[in-house]
This record gives sequence, C-alpha cells and structure tokens, in this order.
Amino acid sequence: MSKNKQAAKGYLPLDTTKKLKSTMGKHYLLARYHKYWGRPLNKKVAWVTSGFPVEILRAFNVFPVYPENYGAVCGTARVSTELCKEAESAGYLQDLCSYARSNIGSITRKDLAPAGGLPKPDFIAICNNICGTVLKWYESLARIYNVPMFIIDTPFIVDRVEEHHVQYVLDQFKNLISELEQFTGRQFDLAKLERIISYSDESIKLWQEIRSLCKTKPSPLNIPDMFLHLAPIVSLRGTAEAVNYYKTFRGEVLTRVKNGVAAVPGEKYRLLWDNIAIWYKLFAFFKMFTERKASFVVDTYSGGWAMDLYLGNPLESLAETYTAIFLNRSVEFRAQQIVELIGEYQVDGFVMHSNRSCKPYSLVQEEVRRIVTKQTGIPGVLIEADMADSRAYSEEQVRTRVQAFMETLEII
Amino acid sequence: MGEFYLGVDIGSLTVKVVLINTSGEIIGSGVKRAGFKGIEYATELRGRLLDEAGIALDQIVATVATGYGRLNFPADKEVSEISCQAKGIAHLFPDVKTIIDIGGQDSKVIKLGLNGRIIDFNMNDKCAAGTGRFLEVMAHALEIKVEEIGALALLATEVSSISSTCTVFAESEVISHIAQGSSLEGIVAGICQSVAERVYALARRINPEPVILLTGGVALNEGVVKAVSKKFAANILVPPLPQITAALGAALAAKSISED
Repeated sequence: MSKNKQAAKGYLPLDTTKKLKSTMGKHYLLARYHKYWGRPLNKKVAWVTSGFPVEILRAFNVFPVYPENYGAVCGTARVSTELCKEAESAGYLQDLCSYARSNIGSITRKDLAPAGGLPKPDFIAICNNICGTVLKWYESLARIYNVPMFIIDTPFIVDRVEEHHVQYVLDQFKNLISELEQFTGRQFDLAKLERIISYSDESIKLWQEIRSLCKTKPSPLNIPDMFLHLAPIVSLRGTAEAVNYYKTFRGEVLTRVKNGVAAVPGEKYRLLWDNIAIWYKLFAFFKMFTERKASFVVDTYSGGWAMDLYLGNPLESLAETYTAIFLNRSVEFRAQQIVELIGEYQVDGFVMHSNRSCKPYSLVQEEVRRIVTKQTGIPGVLIEADMADSRAYSEEQVRTRVQAFMETLEII
Repeated sequence: MGEFYLGVDIGSLTVKVVLINTSGEIIGSGVKRAGFKGIEYATELRGRLLDEAGIALDQIVATVATGYGRLNFPADKEVSEISCQAKGIAHLFPDVKTIIDIGGQDSKVIKLGLNGRIIDFNMNDKCAAGTGRFLEVMAHALEIKVEEIGALALLATEVSSISSTCTVFAESEVISHIAQGSSLEGIVAGICQSVAERVYALARRINPEPVILLTGGVALNEGVVKAVSKKFAANILVPPLPQITAALGAALAAKSISED
C-alpha cells in the first residue's frame, strides 16, 4: 500500500481499487468497441437510467450503458464542467441536472469525453423512480439519435407500497417484454431472467453485507470508498462479474474488520452522508473530515443499491423492488431511514449535500434535517454544491461550514 | 510580566484584532479595512495594540485566527468564525440565544444553547445579497457613503421596496426607483428592509429565539437594525463594538487552548 496514495486521500487506500479500475475499464472498453463485437452478435445497446429494471433488458441480451454512471465518471475526471458548458451552448439550461448536461455535452465533444463517450444507442430505457428529469433528458437523447424509447412509470409512494402500485408497474413490464420481443427479435426467456435476477440478488446481498460491516468500530471503510466501488453494482448489476467483484471487495473489508483496521486511523467521529458525491472534489472534500479523524461510516446514496429484492414471482418481485426505491418515497420515509441508520451505525453527526443538480434528493433535505435532529438529538449540516458541475462549489463557503460543524462536535 | 491572548479576524472587507488578558478582559482592539492586504494589516494592527498597551510580542501566549484569511495568518490555531462569534457573544452576553452576523460577504445566523454551545447555524449560499457588500453596491448606485445609509433610512416617511434578491438586479431596481423620482430616504429604507428580509429567511430555518443580537459591520447601520427588529418583531441587541466580537471569540479560544 503506497504511503503517497494515503497522503493524497487522507486515509487508508483499498487494494480492491485495482480490480475496480480493471473491471470498469473493461466495461467501458467493451462499450467503446461495441460496434465491432456487439453488432455482429445482434446485441443491442441501451442507454438506461440507474433505477431501470435492467434485468429484463439483460434477459434480451441487451448491452446496457448508464449515462448517470458516465456523468460520475466525467465528474471524477473533472471534464463535466466543460461538457456542461457545451450542453448549455446547445440550449440546455444551467439549472438542468449536471449528469444530463455532461452526457449531452459528451455527444458532441468526443475529444473531452472519457472513454471516447458512450456507444451509439439502439434504444433508450427510462424508469422515473429516481426523478422526473430523466424523462425529458432521455427524450432528448431519443430525438438526438432517432431511436425508440421505452418508459416505465412508477407511481410516487406517499406511504407504503400497495398492491395496485405493483400491479400498475407489473402491467408495464409485461408490455415492455412484448415490445422488446419485437424490437430485438428474441423470445422472452423466463429461466434466463431468473438467472440474471439471482446474480442481482447475490451482488445486492454482498453490497448490503459490506455496508453492514461498517457498523464496526472503527469503520473499515470511509464513504468515498462506497461511492467508487458502487460503479459495478450500477453498471454490471445482473452479471456474474458483479458478483465476483463484490466477493473480492467483501474479502478485503472482512480482513480489515478482523484485524481492527480503520479506514480513518484513530477514528474519533462517525458521520452519515446524504446525497450523491461531489465527484470533482471527492478526496479533497472528505479530507477536511479525515484530518479531524472523522469517518463517514454510512450514507443514503450507496444504500440506494442495497434495496431488498422481494421474493416470489420474478417479475412481481422486480416491480415491487423498483417501485420502492427510496428517492420515490415521502419525506417521513427518508427521515426515518436516516434516523435508523444513525442508531445502527452509532453516528455522531450527519452531513447533507444540497445538490443543485438533484432536485428530488435535495428539495426535502432541510425538512429531513429538522426531523432527524429533533428525533435523535444528532446535529446535521447542509453543504451547498453540485455532484458534477464544479461551478456550483464555493471553496471558502464550504470550508467554513464544515469547520464550524466539526467544531460543534469537538466541543461536545 | 503579564500574559495575553490575541484574536485575529481577517474578513473579506475588514481586519479585526482583539487583545485580552488572562481574565478575558479586552485590553485593546482595532478594525481596519483590508482588501488584499489582510495579513499585513492584521500584523500592523497587532503592533499598534501592543504599543498602546506597552506589551511585548512574546507576552502573547497564544493567537487564534478566524475569518476568510484565517488559513494564512501565522497563528497557533485557526477556528471558524461561527465558533468564534458564538464564543465572543456568550462571553459578553450570556443570555443571547440567537446571533445574526452580517459581515462583508456573508451573513449567518447562529443558535446558542447553554454556556454558548452552538445548537445550529445557517449561512447564506454563494450570493452576496443582504451582506455588507450589498450595501456598498447600493450606496455606490445612490452616490452616497455606505456610512450614511443608516441615518438616511431613519428619516424615511415611506419605503420603496426592493424585491430582487440578487445584488446586481437590486441595483437596477434602485436605479429605476431613482428614475421614478422616489425619495432617497425611501430607497435607502427599502435597501435596509431587503437586508432584513434576507436574513429573516435565513434565520427562520433554525427557529430563532430571543434574546436576538446583531453583530458584524452591518450592525453599525441603524437603518438595518431598525428593519431587522421590525421583521423579527423583537428587540434586537447590538454590542457596543459589533465588528470585533468574532475576534474577541478568537482571543478567548486562544486562551482556552493554552489552558488545556
């Protein structure tokens, strides 16, 4: 383990990161050269939202790529802001999600786009369980590429998931399947879908287990680790490769737990994170906390992929799982989720990233913050920034807030 | 030979320095407009305070720096202005529950619990509306000195409201009020009201409770003080030297770190 790497990050690096780079590198390489190997196999490329029931697409031998994950890649590579400007010149507002702008900008600015951009889609697949923006964003994509678009509409869950919600989504799944049969020229294969779901299920369980291991004091991981190692469960969900990947990752985390190794040496404070990462400042931002021996032991964002896959008929189970996604839930649900995590992970304070891009995630945060502090007595702070557009990040403002927040914890 | 502690607050517009003794009493304080030369002026102010009090530099046991320039000033520790402000005010006014601090480029609201512990705080976003800089821009548009705003606002018989929250757009609004022939006093009162409304919105998120106190350079402006007390429907306390309270908190923090 290199000392330099630790100095740059401010905490203990993971060996599995090498495997992450090769796994995701391979995925983007396959994406880039899809026309050479995928076309001859009649393997269609779909541009897919992160909350889409990708298992159904995989059952039709589709190669999915994720503009949202790609947005995160652009953010980490610090090219998002330039790509956003490109989209803005084409008429997209600066108030639009920065993943959307990065993605749209990357279509024309191949010179800046990491991995040469995403491969041209054969169709677009959207599920609005994560936000409403995806509908208009992907509609633009369908228009730009002149390809068909498949939409799954999930009703917003005010209280609990009801039978009629699941039925509504399930009907759309059935419809989607018959449309995909026509579009791909392949027969729907239930056994294949079941196999794919079992891969999803296995990687989700591994992901849940890895998250749970962070309940250990000191925590074996700091949250930027989860943000980075999230990529395979988003992009490779439903594959054996994802399962293998998370087995390796779990192995390393288990070893740390067994040996009492802390991600942040001398862990003094345990924090919770809410919202998507600030990709272009990932380590620089968290360093302000690690310097003060504060470790982020849990978050709500990476928990989005730790959803329970419901048992029973595979399609029904998928319908329920994808409808119950946390961003599709009420303020009370979101607050309760944080209250529970604070208890389970023995959290001392929470940091909310008010993400200019992600309205459904950020809009209710102030209210959630109030409810959580009232119920737990644990303080929380709101940091204003953006996940990919660095123009929305004001260094001094952020530093003052973070520092003042940490000082309040230190006095206690 | 006595021992002393120094607090330095390098803000976006001004530098404030406070020297205290081991009992926490203020021995001397100074304020200077800073701009680019924050650190240089802070050092200069420190020299002046030491000279006036007849104290040698090595009698300063510890120094704490705060404010935007805190990272670069040679100090024993840097502490955020939010913690310093809370520490300074809790020392001077133990009954205060809510601090409204309006500085050069940011405004913040701090809620205090027992013994000056911070319960919650809120800061303005990346926008200078409702701050000292906002008042300067408006004064410039009206061709008056920023110091004149307070007295003029108190003379207003009617208030020309400024609805825009953006400094640039608010300036255009002021210019259109001038064009419409509104009175100078009325426009100035409108500007003060807009600052009060902005800070009220910020404060409401953390449920402000009396006693409420206003600090920062803008607290010197009687027009804003009047507008803030009207908006909060409460009596607003203003310390005698509202600009130096964070620097005082920094000096007190210097005292506590040396005692630890």
